[in-house]
Amino acid sequence: MKVTIKDFDDIAVVEAEGNIDSKTAPEFERNTKLATDKSNIIAIDLTAVEFMSSAGLRVLLMLYRNVKAKEGKVVLAGVSEEIQDVMSMTGFINFFKIVDTKEQALSFLKQA
Amino acid sequence: MGMETRSFPGNVDSLDPLREHIGALAQQAGLSKKSTYNLKVAIDEIATNIILYGYQSEKIDGTYRLLSEITENELTVILEDDAKPFNPLENKLPDELDLSLPLEEREIGGLGIFLTINGVDDFSYDFSTGKNRNKFVMKVA
Repeated sequence: MKVTIKDFDDIAVVEAEGNIDSKTAPEFERNTKLATDKSNIIAIDLTAVEFMSSAGLRVLLMLYRNVKAKEGKVVLAGVSEEIQDVMSMTGFINFFKIVDTKEQALSFLKQA
Repeated sequence: MGMETRSFPGNVDSLDPLREHIGALAQQAGLSKKSTYNLKVAIDEIATNIILYGYQSEKIDGTYRLLSEITENELTVILEDDAKPFNPLENKLPDELDLSLPLEEREIGGLGIFLTINGVDDFSYDFSTGKNRNKFVMKVA
């Protein structure tokens, strides 16, 4: 998997690509932490993520807590139907704003 | 029809090829996209437990096996390992109340086995052969 962070004004965008499992979740987590160190307005672009196990959910949980503690905002973009199902089964879905594209995430966060 | 067996090294690098193999079996069996994904999650979660807690934290350099059988109506997959006995079904699972808690108040563990059990048509565990055998069954709709 590949993870990059890009800054759009005050917004830190974490773009992940590939599979988030127990091998790659530490790298995903390291980047989400770097993003929350930089900013309290975060977009996570999962458009290119095919697979996410509970190791990835754990990272989203920690990210949510970090952002909440800083009274910030987080939006997830491009979450596949399958990953949304998993988020729904585990009750995660209600706590995240989910949009289709990174552009929608940016415009949502700019307005918020 | 006999079972097909494939062996994987007990480290997290095996998860990618393991899921790919599951994808190929699911396609052969004719599972839907959603069932295929749910089976991949289930297998990944149990394999992760085997690798991290069965082998790595015990400093064991082991392998685990994936046994599979496809019939007209279902795909059966068994993960077999040589680590100490671990029955996922004896683990405490999050209940409806736990899953409705705000994320600030959640316990971090337990979601993997919850996803496993809820994602497949049948899940069972057996140690009668002296090896952990986690069995997953997916019905072909």
